[in-house]
Amino acid sequence: MHDLGRLAVCLALVCAVFAVLASAVGALRRRGELVRAGEHAAYATFGLVVFAVALLLRALLAHDFSLAYVASYTSTTLPTQYTIAALWGGQQGSLLFWSFILLLFSTVVLVQNRERNRDLMPWVTATLMVVSAFFLGLVTFITDPFERLPRPALEGSDLNPLLQNYWMMIHPPSLYLGYVSASVPFAFGIAALATGKLGDQWIRTTRRWALFSWFFLTLGNLFGAMWAYEVLGWGGYWAWDPVENAAFMPWLVSTAYLHSVMIQEKKDMLRVWNMVLVLLTFSLTIFGTFLTRSGVISSVHSFTQSGLGPFFIGFLLLILLVSGGLIVYRLPELRTSGTIESFLSRESAFLFNNLLLVGIAFAVFWGTVFPVLSEWVRGVKITVGPPFFNRVNAPLGIALLFLMGVGPVIAWRRASPKNLWRAFAGPVLSGLVGTVLLLLLGVPLGGAFLTFACGCFVMGTIVQEFWRGMRARQAMLKERAPVALARVIGKNRRRYGGYIIHVGIVAIFVGIAASSAFQVEVRETLEAGEEMTAGRYRLVYERVESAEDGHMHSLAAVMSVWIGDERIAVMHPEKRFYKKPEQPTTEVAKRTTLREDLYLVLGSFDPQTRLVTILAYVNPLVVWIWIGGLIMTIGTVVAAWPTLVERRVAAIDPAVVRGAEHA
Amino acid sequence: MIRVALLLAVLAAGPVAAAPATQQEVEESLTCQCGCGLTVHSCNHIQCSSAEPIKDEIRRRLTAGEDKETILAYFSGKYGEKVLSSPTMRGFNWFAWVTPFAVVLAAGVAIVVVVRRRVQVRDDAPAPPPGGDPALRERLERELADLDRDDA
Repeated sequence: MHDLGRLAVCLALVCAVFAVLASAVGALRRRGELVRAGEHAAYATFGLVVFAVALLLRALLAHDFSLAYVASYTSTTLPTQYTIAALWGGQQGSLLFWSFILLLFSTVVLVQNRERNRDLMPWVTATLMVVSAFFLGLVTFITDPFERLPRPALEGSDLNPLLQNYWMMIHPPSLYLGYVSASVPFAFGIAALATGKLGDQWIRTTRRWALFSWFFLTLGNLFGAMWAYEVLGWGGYWAWDPVENAAFMPWLVSTAYLHSVMIQEKKDMLRVWNMVLVLLTFSLTIFGTFLTRSGVISSVHSFTQSGLGPFFIGFLLLILLVSGGLIVYRLPELRTSGTIESFLSRESAFLFNNLLLVGIAFAVFWGTVFPVLSEWVRGVKITVGPPFFNRVNAPLGIALLFLMGVGPVIAWRRASPKNLWRAFAGPVLSGLVGTVLLLLLGVPLGGAFLTFACGCFVMGTIVQEFWRGMRARQAMLKERAPVALARVIGKNRRRYGGYIIHVGIVAIFVGIAASSAFQVEVRETLEAGEEMTAGRYRLVYERVESAEDGHMHSLAAVMSVWIGDERIAVMHPEKRFYKKPEQPTTEVAKRTTLREDLYLVLGSFDPQTRLVTILAYVNPLVVWIWIGGLIMTIGTVVAAWPTLVERRVAAIDPAVVRGAEHA
Repeated sequence: MIRVALLLAVLAAGPVAAAPATQQEVEESLTCQCGCGLTVHSCNHIQCSSAEPIKDEIRRRLTAGEDKETILAYFSGKYGEKVLSSPTMRGFNWFAWVTPFAVVLAAGVAIVVVVRRRVQVRDDAPAPPPGGDPALRERLERELADLDRDDA
């Protein structure tokens, strides 16, 4: 069976390479049958990889320890859901899984475009298959998931206990979806450059893919943060670890693209820039995989390290060279006539928004690679840790937040004093009222204060937009307020979906600012019956409880939580000791309210003295980060929902559409 | 816009702490050497063989009246520069701090220059007849407003 798996992967690689060649030659020689053959080869690649994934999954579930991969990442006692998750828990499997998702998306793209974008499609197929071939090549030649052990192991060495968490089922797949789907806009971008069809066609085709990719990157980042918060037990959710940065950078650039593409659609400007952003987003996803998988930069995520680094660097260079070369080659055709007439305009607000988003991405990139740079230049190892990233990114982030209140309402082309007043009187008032309230509440001046004040300004902008849209419909069509609001959103889904996403971003900013600036942290060693104070909570240590099963044993401190004379909760911060591999993990006890999280960690327990050390954190407003994520999800669904016109077009036979296009 | 951004940057950086360093502050300036990748302050490994002794040492030195700089210099000497959780502001490390802002500023200035040049080019162009046709003006306003629509 192992050989069958290997064979499937090898054949898939052959098919992928054939697809690349057939598509490229077919496009250059204008041979339709070759182009079709390329597409069929792509489908075949997908089929073979599905087969390989199924085989690996079967081996995992059957505990076939004659496979090195199965023996390294699972055991007979590992719960089934983590046995499935082991598919992407180790390097070999994760690269196969990556190929699988990429080929799944490629297949969807090919099916979607059987009758559309025929001029672009050969190059789209070729590009997607080059990327597939790269990953399949790694799986075939470097990290074989079907590698056999000389003698089958009796028992596996199990998945890393840190990964044995339900987030393992959610976080890596979302991030993969986000990473991998960035390949689709990239492929269309390359196709546009290759064919010289540089208009809006490729952008309109990939609009939803870009949003899809961005959305799953958003989720992937947030799920990662939640995972860290719940599992690592240090009271925070983001440590600026290289791999976290690797997921954050493409998100930033992708966000920049989603904004600047609007300028291209409306004003036919920034074609080169948008192309650069698409290529950059994709390159950063490859860079991210490189960071995760190469171990070049030490990281808590480097669960496995390997010699993959050079291959990724090589592939990255190839991407940059080819796409950079194509852009330069097409530069004359990419130039557009659109101009910016004033600094006080929507166009320039978007330019500065892009500047800041890409600037933050650069700052993160710079901080991530600086240790390597320092070692090259000075031969000295240094650390670029959270204090650096926080200090550098906070001002840029707040400036970005501020712009979020400006961009959506400032006039296109050139804002006059009159329409500036009309656009900003409300938001500025909202910001000022917020500032006064913050002063009255005694919030100390600083980054968090500024974030809250900017947040009020941005919320003013958003509420005003919804209000005005609704009032206009009410006045014109005599609709009732809820109907008018629903219809104004329904008629302009992208725009209002975007505003809803902005509300989510404000919530996230507020949550991050509050929880980083006003976190309360107490650490005490207690005897049974003793208490400690954290913020407004009194925590009484009652006793320890222990439990054991075949997989691990656990130890929990029973803490009763009091506010004043009222006992509001009993919490159980816990340590788990896994048997294979022998490793302790922290199970945080968390009590979440809209106002704050009480977050308890069992630091240590001394069986002789029966003393426990408890770390208690009070993290204000942290839940708003996750609520923000939920709001962003709603906003994305609103923005991505097909409009009536699109649904009608989709319902029409594609052949008719093609006929109409040729007419 | 840039001025606003700069002002915000300055404000966001906040007041520079002049108060004596706290235990937490020093712990956050040091990286745990156990391989967890977190700061000494954040590492919560049970009886971490790296973070715990470092925390004790910091406590001892703070009680003895040493300031943050001296303590950091001590640890830097003991473990090498990599123990510091962010680069120093000296020598080559200075680039770590300055480059991101320099790049953003330079790009911002470039945008300003390019936009301003284009604005001037347009200003030099023959001006449209003053006042203009009110109907045309109205149409222009309407079309500009239409830019905000999804299907525009």
